[in-house]
Amino acid sequence: MGYASKSPWLIHYDGSSCNGCDIEVLDSLMPLYDLERFGIINTGNPKHADIFLVTGSVNHQNINVVKHIYEQMMEPKVVVACGICACTGGVFRDCYNIIGGVDKAIPVDVYAPGCAVRPETIIDAVLKAVEILDEKAKRLAAGEDPATIGKPMPETPNAPVDERHAAAEATAKAGEAKTEQPAAATKQTNE
Amino acid sequence: MSLIAALVAVPLIAAVLLMLFRSESQRNVITIAAAAITGVTAVAFAVQYLFVGHVSFALPQETSYIATWVFTAIDIVLCAVILWHAVRYKNRLALVLGLVQTVGVIAFANMTLSEGAGHMLPEPLYSDQLSVIMVLIVGLVGSAICVYALGYMHDFQHHEPAGAPDRRHFFSALMFIFLSAMFVIVLSDNLEWLFTGWEITTVCSFLMIGYTRTDEAIKNSFRQINLNMIGGLAFLAALIMLHFGGIELSLAAFIETASTTQAAVLIFPILLLSVAGLTKAAQMPFHSWLLGAMVAPTPTSALLHSSTMVKAGVFLLVKLAPVYMVFPAASIMVVTVGGVTFVLCSFMAISQSNAKRVLAYSTIANLGLIAACAGVGIAEAAWAAVFLIIFHTVSKSILFLCVGTVEHRIGSRNIEDMDGLFSRLPRLTRFMMLGILGMFVAPFGMLISKWATLVSFAETGNVVFLILLAFGSAATFFFWAKWLGKLAGVAQKAENVEAGVHRSEWFAIGSIAVLMLACCLGLPAISLGVVSPYLEATFGSNPQFLGVDNMLIMAVIVAFIAIVFLTPWGRASKKRRVEVYLGGTCTDPDSRRFHGSMGRTMTSTKRNWYMQDIFPEHALTNVGVIVCLGIILMAFAACFIFNTDVLTGGTFYVERLPRLVGPGLPGLLLGVVVFAVCAPVIGCLLDGLDRKVSAHMQGRVGPKLLQPYYDVRKLLAKEQASVNAVDEAYITCAIIFCLLAGGMFISGSNLLMCVFLVTLATLFVIIASYSARSPFADTGADRECLQVMSYEPMLLIMTVGFFGATQSFDTASLLTLEQPMIISLIPIFLGLLFILTIKLRKSPFDYSYSHHAHQELVKGITTEMEGRTLAKVEIMHWCETVLFLMWVGMFFIWDNPISFVVALAVVALTWFFEVFIDNNSARTKWQFGLKYAWLVALVAGVVNLFYMLITPFI
Repeated sequence: MGYASKSPWLIHYDGSSCNGCDIEVLDSLMPLYDLERFGIINTGNPKHADIFLVTGSVNHQNINVVKHIYEQMMEPKVVVACGICACTGGVFRDCYNIIGGVDKAIPVDVYAPGCAVRPETIIDAVLKAVEILDEKAKRLAAGEDPATIGKPMPETPNAPVDERHAAAEATAKAGEAKTEQPAAATKQTNE
Repeated sequence: MSLIAALVAVPLIAAVLLMLFRSESQRNVITIAAAAITGVTAVAFAVQYLFVGHVSFALPQETSYIATWVFTAIDIVLCAVILWHAVRYKNRLALVLGLVQTVGVIAFANMTLSEGAGHMLPEPLYSDQLSVIMVLIVGLVGSAICVYALGYMHDFQHHEPAGAPDRRHFFSALMFIFLSAMFVIVLSDNLEWLFTGWEITTVCSFLMIGYTRTDEAIKNSFRQINLNMIGGLAFLAALIMLHFGGIELSLAAFIETASTTQAAVLIFPILLLSVAGLTKAAQMPFHSWLLGAMVAPTPTSALLHSSTMVKAGVFLLVKLAPVYMVFPAASIMVVTVGGVTFVLCSFMAISQSNAKRVLAYSTIANLGLIAACAGVGIAEAAWAAVFLIIFHTVSKSILFLCVGTVEHRIGSRNIEDMDGLFSRLPRLTRFMMLGILGMFVAPFGMLISKWATLVSFAETGNVVFLILLAFGSAATFFFWAKWLGKLAGVAQKAENVEAGVHRSEWFAIGSIAVLMLACCLGLPAISLGVVSPYLEATFGSNPQFLGVDNMLIMAVIVAFIAIVFLTPWGRASKKRRVEVYLGGTCTDPDSRRFHGSMGRTMTSTKRNWYMQDIFPEHALTNVGVIVCLGIILMAFAACFIFNTDVLTGGTFYVERLPRLVGPGLPGLLLGVVVFAVCAPVIGCLLDGLDRKVSAHMQGRVGPKLLQPYYDVRKLLAKEQASVNAVDEAYITCAIIFCLLAGGMFISGSNLLMCVFLVTLATLFVIIASYSARSPFADTGADRECLQVMSYEPMLLIMTVGFFGATQSFDTASLLTLEQPMIISLIPIFLGLLFILTIKLRKSPFDYSYSHHAHQELVKGITTEMEGRTLAKVEIMHWCETVLFLMWVGMFFIWDNPISFVVALAVVALTWFFEVFIDNNSARTKWQFGLKYAWLVALVAGVVNLFYMLITPFI
């Protein structure tokens, strides 16, 4: 067993959901389930994370966020779709704004169904993901592309990732005058 | 002798030529030639006299007499210039002071010149090592600044409104007159001549500050001349008193008289000369002239505040240092004014965003330190003062010149606008960073000098000043580190605007940078070959408080840092580039724009941290002016109150020479190897145990003991990617410094150096974090700076306590103690426990980084570090933890093997205590941390150091 599986750090993102699965994920991170037994740490930082836990489905608003977080994670990395919405879109799948499950945006390695998904299922899924992580780590060490395990990058109705910057810049320029809020939202003050 | 004549004459001739030939091409030729000749002459002079020691130069008395006439004439001309300007700009105060000075000068000339040539000094000129150092400073740095001014003034004129008169020839001429006057000051034994040089610098700087003739410039130039005329009048009064006292008007005679029975005559002159020195060195309450002088073109600032004007003030004080041993009133006045100025100006520098104002405050602060060192009057302090002068000159002149050039390139001197300069002006910024590092971190000269200051104040038992030094240094770290952080930010797609920098500017900055590195590398040689003989001759003692092996190690580190900054070493250009983390979708990482909710694009901005509410400039200025003015008045009052026995009774002083019991170079290297092998292992196990114990405290099982090891192994195998090419190199440096620090500690080497190296390691982590320009990492780095500022005073106080208990800075001395240090250092130990929580970044003080789950800063200072870089940070934390715990343990070591068991038990308890606190407290606000860390340091420090250092005097 490699070291990747002994120290899976995770990041959690809640997409378009009823927040049930979100709460369950937080629940499973409570001391009661003691995920640190497995070396799991909730980092909250994609750059440190190995496992991406997504709850809720993907919509037009958040698809780029999901992709972006995934992109900022370093290989080897795995994605776990937690809850039925994250797997397929669930009850929301026919909504006008919903694109579908997480696999519409990024390749998913483990599907953990449930509405809401139970902590035990989440833990099971994470432990399953850890095995894939190990496998990917091995591939990476051998100089291969770890992304060959699991599904390829899905086709989505949105613009491809590479063109995202151009598109976003164009939007930014177009709406600069009325939408720019300098220093408003994430101004990191020291107070 | 002929060299001295050349040194004085060449700049004067250049000045005359510059006034005659005014075209730009002619000016370039004259300036470069004159600067080159001055520089070469200065070097030739140094080669001839540097190792010779004190040499006096005889001059026929008739020649001297004529020279004195000339100098008196110059004095009167200077007075006329002042009066003319005072009338023209209707400044009453200047008029009154100018008239008083005119009367004084004429009256004094009447007294001395009427006595005829027979009373002239037979040997009016001299040279000793200190003078030679000053000649080198003025001749090399000063000339380089003159060359720099060519390119700078070209741009300056370009930025002036159209039709503005071109008076650049006048400016250049003034600079050369300045150099000439400085040579007179540092080489004259004749106090009358020295006074004339003194007044020339005053008037020249007055004209240079007022160069632009805007209202502001005129106002500030008058402020300068009024304050400096007070100093000049004090100088003149001192001369007149000396004359009436029947003392020869010679610096050497002055110093000799102090140790004879005639000393009582000097009580007032020494106070007056000190006041003159303090005004010229811009000490509170006279400091405002230096701040005002910042309106002048930057070469003025560089010349006045780094190498000449203010250095004349501290030169006089250092020259008088042996005298202060005799006169307690003057000594206490200079030390206290210097100390208060140092600490308050360091505080005020925090609240400044104008780069030149930061430099100004830092200059005043450092001059305060030099003045205080001179005022102590013992050899160690003089050693510190001389090195402070050298290193302050080179570092500060680089900084002034860089800021000037940057201002012309980016159109601003605001530190906020220097964001990402690392990419826009790559070479210049690296020089600037080197200059900043030179100002405040080990192993660059400034810090070594501060160290010597610490030693000398511990020797004299000056607790108040030790405390001031501890807090001032902490503030110094904060304002420099945050500026450094702004510079270090690497933008990914920046436009390089370096092309317009003039060759003359590059030449000046580059040559001073080379000079700075040479001084750092050559520090052992300068200390042994130049400064020690000077102290031997002047004070009759030759301080050896720093092992040569330590100096060598420092020189190696300086070379290493220079390599990291100035060469492409460690640039991981092959790594995949990733964007900074902005919490959502980042649209443009360079301008930190991201997609916010509702489809808006937002920009995240991040300013430096100025803390105006904690360090308000206005209020601190008032406090400083009142306190320092009070001290000066009290010193004069004391001369009337006490009898001459007390006033010439000498200062309190107990010989406390540090013992050097360090292990030598081989032992030290062995220590580093042992620490590098053991500390990561022990630290890793401790970290694992920490997580295990924490888990049990929370009713969980927790991870495996080796979990931290697994984490690091995983991180090492992750994909290699980074936001920029430099952060990993910085982190590697940090690990190396940390290992060196640990090695020094366990091999029994210098504790103070160990503390400084740990701070240096932290600084490099901070720079690495700033380099990403991520809002989260930046804020984390800011808070890390704050944490350093919070705990630094306590650490310095701890080392002083260590020195008090063991008479040494080497940890090996612990093994010779009859009883453990804790017996006499309980308050300091408790203080250390308090700041240990901050140092280990544990709750409630985990501001910059948290081991646990989330915090609002994502992962604070480590947010932008991935894979291998993060693994290195983890390893560094392990080593740090081990080192810090050893600091705790050292309080319980004495010359008994059992003591190691005791120390181990205490360390284990302390560690458990830290984990307990970590698990049972919530994070506080940073204000709380800063306030209490400083309060604890103040109380523990004052109580314990008073007890330790004052006891021998009772």
